[in-house]
Amino acid sequence: MTKIKVATDWLEACAGCHMSFLDIDDRILELLKHVELHSTPITDLKHPPEEGVDVGILTGAVGNTHQLEVARRMRERCKILIAMGDCATFGGICTMLNFFDKEEALRRGYVETESTVEGRIPRSEEIARPLEKVLAVDEVVPVDVHLPGCPPSADAIWFVLTELLAGRMPVLAGDNLKYD
Amino acid sequence: MTKVQITIDGQKIAAEAGSTVLEAAREAGLDIPTLCHHPALSNWGACRICLVEIERQRALQTACTFPVTEGMVVHTESEKVVAARKFVLQLLFSERNHYCMYCQMSGDCELQSLAYRYGLTEWPYPRPVEPLAVDATRQYFVMDHNRCILCRRCVRACAELVANHTLGVRERGIHSMITADLNVPMGESSCIQCGTCLQVCPTGALMDLKSAYRGRETQVERTRSTCVGCSIGCGIELVSRANHLVRIEGDWDAEVNKGLLCVVGRFEPLFDDRQRVTQPLVRRRGLLEPCEWDEALGLVAEKLSGDSLAALITTRATNETMTQFGRLFRSLGAEMAAVGSLAPAPGAEGRLTDLAEADVILVVGADLKKDHQVAGAFVRRAVDRGARLALVADADNGLASYATWHVGFDQMDSLVGMAAQASRPVVVCAADLPAEAEAALAPLAGKASFLGLSRGSNSRGAVAAGLPLSRGGEASARVLYILAEDDRLHIPRNGAGFVVAQASYVGPLTDMADVVLPAPIWAEQSGHVTNTEGRVQSVQAALTPPENVWPTVKVLKTLAGRLNLAL
Repeated sequence: MTKIKVATDWLEACAGCHMSFLDIDDRILELLKHVELHSTPITDLKHPPEEGVDVGILTGAVGNTHQLEVARRMRERCKILIAMGDCATFGGICTMLNFFDKEEALRRGYVETESTVEGRIPRSEEIARPLEKVLAVDEVVPVDVHLPGCPPSADAIWFVLTELLAGRMPVLAGDNLKYD
Repeated sequence: MTKVQITIDGQKIAAEAGSTVLEAAREAGLDIPTLCHHPALSNWGACRICLVEIERQRALQTACTFPVTEGMVVHTESEKVVAARKFVLQLLFSERNHYCMYCQMSGDCELQSLAYRYGLTEWPYPRPVEPLAVDATRQYFVMDHNRCILCRRCVRACAELVANHTLGVRERGIHSMITADLNVPMGESSCIQCGTCLQVCPTGALMDLKSAYRGRETQVERTRSTCVGCSIGCGIELVSRANHLVRIEGDWDAEVNKGLLCVVGRFEPLFDDRQRVTQPLVRRRGLLEPCEWDEALGLVAEKLSGDSLAALITTRATNETMTQFGRLFRSLGAEMAAVGSLAPAPGAEGRLTDLAEADVILVVGADLKKDHQVAGAFVRRAVDRGARLALVADADNGLASYATWHVGFDQMDSLVGMAAQASRPVVVCAADLPAEAEAALAPLAGKASFLGLSRGSNSRGAVAAGLPLSRGGEASARVLYILAEDDRLHIPRNGAGFVVAQASYVGPLTDMADVVLPAPIWAEQSGHVTNTEGRVQSVQAALTPPENVWPTVKVLKTLAGRLNLAL
């Protein structure tokens, strides 16, 4: 039997969701019996293959043009897309920015920071531009499974993956559904 | 009671006629979720979370407002109901900023817990981006409109429980906003900062500045106790964590206040920033220096045994402390007093609950907006219900705008005569009334019920322990012993040669004392206090005192032992 192909990527995120994923501990060995872990931000392969994967996992919100591209590429190349973590499902802490003026936030971050001398707001054509608003993944591309939590617990991640392996759409409840 | 037969989720229930579907269901142990509903408030039907399917009703109905009728068949978790509740939650989450992760209520929020219950993993509707103003103009708590779900619990609490009518809703539809008075900042409004709205808010919209982020319900301890802020003796719950007081809440089950508190009981103790006395101190060469208990008590015992002695005690002390204090200083022949006073009661003593039945309330000398504020709320509630308030007080009395009649002491007779004609008059008296005012109340004896508001939290306990009451300034003796605990007493030295202060905090008393004995604060000792109605209520320690601070009674007993007094 061929293994299920899984790819992950992170957008505007703190890496906590990926850390929580690794917190499934030795269960990862069991997982790898059924799953081929393809590209992830914490392995050598960084981009999902053009021929596609079965399950794509995105963590983080969509805050700039680069992240928008990554999210769209993952959607194109996977059959089932999981939005993992509060940022991916709701926008999370990144959306705090939405309640401020964008230019003011950039100035605060790059120029007025207490430790910054002669700071400039980077505006090169070669780097990504911030979007008007920070968005959740499902505001950009269709999402099949929402797994909120900051981060979702390793058990919740394990639950979602094993349900999918068993051919069921996961329904989160109880301790698996927490965003506090 | 008439009963009607109804069926909820297949269960046959005999429900009380006139009750709501929600009440009937809860009585039978069935759980219908609610959000805008609160047991202490009137039913509103604002949030639509309690929607249920009632057979032969065209649309889903709110269980909190729909009355039961004979033969009614209700479904509380049908597919249609669950879909409607999810839809309601999705709309609530889309309307304002309900990003849980940056809210201090996360983990204890009623909205969040409903989202968990109904498996809300995503927000299908556009998210809010326009921030609303945060009103931080009050001293103790903040209104964050971004978290508000417009359930109107705060509005109802302000109107129905506190009868202060500060809060309301302005605009309509999506523009609806909780507002104070005629849309002024909360801090400039008629708000009295009692915090009742804060206690009933189901989300993080009303945020307590002191307790925000300092512990979730699962991390804190709750201790039921009695407030010693005044002689009403409101039931409170002390919320603490790691030996720190986090928050004080009104105890909904307390007979005296039924959940209500005032700014003095709810907030002020949390903001007491006086410096603690943490060890015994003895004055040497004009300066207070730390010493061992043994040395301090030895010195005090020596001074207590010989000279003319006066002993004063705070009326914040418990009955147990009062009793021990009385025994010790009585046997030493000291001139004793507790710093407080009782209000006159020339007739039958009443209870605070009498205010709910009164048709005329005669308030004499008390400003219930400044002192005994919870009694003020009960008076305002009575006025809302149609009772008439007759006020004998200064022109600037806080309840003046609620009064039908308002006169000075010189014209008091007319109001006494009027109250005598009422069918259920209640007289609320302040302590320390002029003698003429006391005399003028005599015609109401046998007619009205009298509610005296004693000065000092436990003045009645002091009297029961055989201690006379005083203003505290009269005592004059060679040796002065002041048991102040955490009270802000102002006692003149009156030429005493030696002063002992048993005090929790550094202040004017310790400044003049020759020996300072550290004392626990109110939240660190258990015992009883007697409120102004004569009700004996329990005070429970929620905190452990600093290591070298002894319980007050232990100090008094040890002193007695040193003086070879068998008490």
